[in-house]
Amino acid sequence: MKRLIGPQSALRLPSARIAIVVLLGIAVLTAFGSTLAPQNPLTINANALFQGPGAHHLLGTDYLGRDVLSRLMAGTRLSVLTALEAVGIGLVLGTGPGIATVFLGRWFDFAANRVTDALMTLPYVFFAVAVTAALGNGLVQAMVPVGILLAPFFFRVTRAATLEHARAQYVEAAELMGASKLHVVRVHVLRKVLPTIAVTTASMAAAALLAVSFLTFLGIGVQPPAPTWGGVLSSDLAYLAQAPWAPFIPGALIAVTVGALNALADAFRDRRGAGTLAAQPDPIIRTHSTLEPADDDRQSQVA
Amino acid sequence: MPFPRRAVPRAAPGDAAAARRAAPRNDATVRRGALAGAAVLALTVLAAACGSSAGSPAGSASSATAGATGTVNWEWTLPTSWDPVTSSAGWDVHALGLVYASITTLDPAGTVGPGLATSWKYAANGKSVTFTLRPGLKFSDGTVLDAAAVKKNIVRAQKQPTSNIASELAVISKVVVNSPTSFTLDLAQVDYQLPDLLAGKDGMMVSPAAFTKNLSGLPTHPVGAGPFKLTSYVPDSHADLVRNPGYWDASQIHLANFTVQAISQPEQILAALQSGQVNVAYIAGNQVASAKAAGFKVAVIPSEVVNELDIQTTTAPFNKPDVVKAINYAIDRQAILKVQASGYGAASYQPFPKGFVGYNPSLANLYPYNPAKAKQLLAQAGYPHGLKITLSTVSTSDPLAEQLQSQLKQVGISVTIKDIPAATETQFLYLDKTIPLAIDGTAGRNSPVEMLDVLYSQQGLMNVNGKKSTTSPTVTQALNQALTVPLGSAKYASTLQNAVSTAVTTDPIHIWLYTNPRIFAYSPKVTGIPHDLVQQRWEGVRAAG
Repeated sequence: MKRLIGPQSALRLPSARIAIVVLLGIAVLTAFGSTLAPQNPLTINANALFQGPGAHHLLGTDYLGRDVLSRLMAGTRLSVLTALEAVGIGLVLGTGPGIATVFLGRWFDFAANRVTDALMTLPYVFFAVAVTAALGNGLVQAMVPVGILLAPFFFRVTRAATLEHARAQYVEAAELMGASKLHVVRVHVLRKVLPTIAVTTASMAAAALLAVSFLTFLGIGVQPPAPTWGGVLSSDLAYLAQAPWAPFIPGALIAVTVGALNALADAFRDRRGAGTLAAQPDPIIRTHSTLEPADDDRQSQVA
Repeated sequence: MPFPRRAVPRAAPGDAAAARRAAPRNDATVRRGALAGAAVLALTVLAAACGSSAGSPAGSASSATAGATGTVNWEWTLPTSWDPVTSSAGWDVHALGLVYASITTLDPAGTVGPGLATSWKYAANGKSVTFTLRPGLKFSDGTVLDAAAVKKNIVRAQKQPTSNIASELAVISKVVVNSPTSFTLDLAQVDYQLPDLLAGKDGMMVSPAAFTKNLSGLPTHPVGAGPFKLTSYVPDSHADLVRNPGYWDASQIHLANFTVQAISQPEQILAALQSGQVNVAYIAGNQVASAKAAGFKVAVIPSEVVNELDIQTTTAPFNKPDVVKAINYAIDRQAILKVQASGYGAASYQPFPKGFVGYNPSLANLYPYNPAKAKQLLAQAGYPHGLKITLSTVSTSDPLAEQLQSQLKQVGISVTIKDIPAATETQFLYLDKTIPLAIDGTAGRNSPVEMLDVLYSQQGLMNVNGKKSTTSPTVTQALNQALTVPLGSAKYASTLQNAVSTAVTTDPIHIWLYTNPRIFAYSPKVTGIPHDLVQQRWEGVRAAG
């Protein structure tokens, strides 16, 4: 019987299914949160300050009488998209050099690794503060440095995965047959490391979401009255005496979302097997190389 | 001066920032100070213990020491400097008043009365005033506090390059020492506000020995003749004080010890009360219910503090009077009061609270909330489709800024909230005058004309218009007129109120929002907290156990 080793296999895990449901919900809020919000998230109501959860305000109201549920729903887009912005930057800056370093010689590899080492020493909060001070206070600006600091993680994971495949016999065979480096990367390597990058992306998305929440918690990058998850949490903490329950709501939303991303990443990693990167048979190898291992053999290695 | 606006979750920028950058931190000197303070404390305790047998140089001090007990741990902002001459915030007067005694004092209603001086008398032409000091006064370091010491203090405040009160004392052209207990101030012009002025920082006497020997140390090592003596001070954290038995009114000081504790996060204040870290705390209006529910007493003390916006009427678009008027009409002050202070205080259109001598009833509803009129004024000013402005504050999450942003948006004014680092707020706002629109507030002044001077005069610190702008002659004339009317005159109130009205309507460089009472939550074990309008005093306060 053929075993599933792709996304279908991971989705058989209950944790992955729950994570998918949560993330789909977040995706819906990202797209339509402002529209679906039951009330205007910016409307100040002097007669409804610090109200607890109730029929009219399901998650209560904040220090200006604004509906917390509506603010969290409307704030999802900014929080999630800026996290994705950081991940995108990290992905682009990290994976390209991560793959290239294997094929561009040891000097490039040395230089890229040292840059990576240097970047990993930078604390992202201070880096983000410095960049926003230079570029202006905005979430887009604030997430650029976060993305830059995520790049080393993508770089290292991609480099390690690429190294493994670059030494595979079918790659050597392709090179012996005259394939260019670009062809080898595109046809033989990239497809193999993509699942690893996907897992890393999910993990980094969780980290970026935390970073966004933390930066907005500090007031970096947010222009009032725009709601964000971290901003709501921050303001709630200032009124613990009046509404001690309030911080739990945005806190739980952040925790659940980050947990879902991590659970999904874990599910894919577990189902694929740690360190095993052969997600699918290589159709090119099957077509052009006599060195291709049998599908069943490879799957048994993976399983 | 800015002040810690406790009506909002985070202390308002200016004063908190000023306090943070306060006196230069010098750990070595602080440690030395702590050791010296401990020695002073030990000697004080020893003297108190042996008082009856060994005898005390001053009989009044000895009798005053008896019965003093308990400690008030006061949650409050530490001063920008413990030197009244270099202090840069009006708010500092409350903390400085613990260490320093002033020439005169204000009673709870703000009326001037005796302090170090028992009486004063103006010359018939109003151009000099003679004060009579109490006999036998001494600073806490033993230095004699006589007329010569007063002269040294005034001269220092006028001439020291770093003085922040020199301009206020510039009216004094000469100090004449008549005797150890009498001195005369010759004035450059008639100024009947001087006794009021000398009830505040301007009249706080510093030991000449201290500023002669260690001027640079004064911001952290004050030596005065006030109700308490500073024994240790940790900037941004706390100050420890012990009772000064040599204080002229020591019989009314029933507390043996006093601490000032700076807690920057308002949400921690009630926790500090509950844990016993402090037993008197300055809280926001929206914390009153929680404080009462936790079993604490609450005192809502009328104060001179008024929240406002500083606005540069020399900078576009605020250089168009209709724009400033539109902003005034667009602000729903009652709603702001309700949200920001839970209704504690009152909507305001002038720098003085109702009940104060300077309060002008004709301004009681100067700009009633009227968004339609605001839109009309904007159109008249050439902004029929609205305009964009920037509002500066020390925190982008300032709820007052957010509420103002929301209200102004309704009339087409799009507000970008810009945060200013608290440490640089007073520099940019008051000294450089480079911030067109900012959230601010007045801490009040001992002299109402001094307050108006600070707010509206050409040299006024809180006149945020560019340095090259000129104050309207009408305003200048009204302020000068207020100086020339004796405090006891029947015309005083009307003249002062006229000056208020003239300044507020002629130079609308302050958009007044709401008065801010001083709200204390305190342990039931603390009793007798006086309700002082201007400067919080501690005479008569007791703390059990």
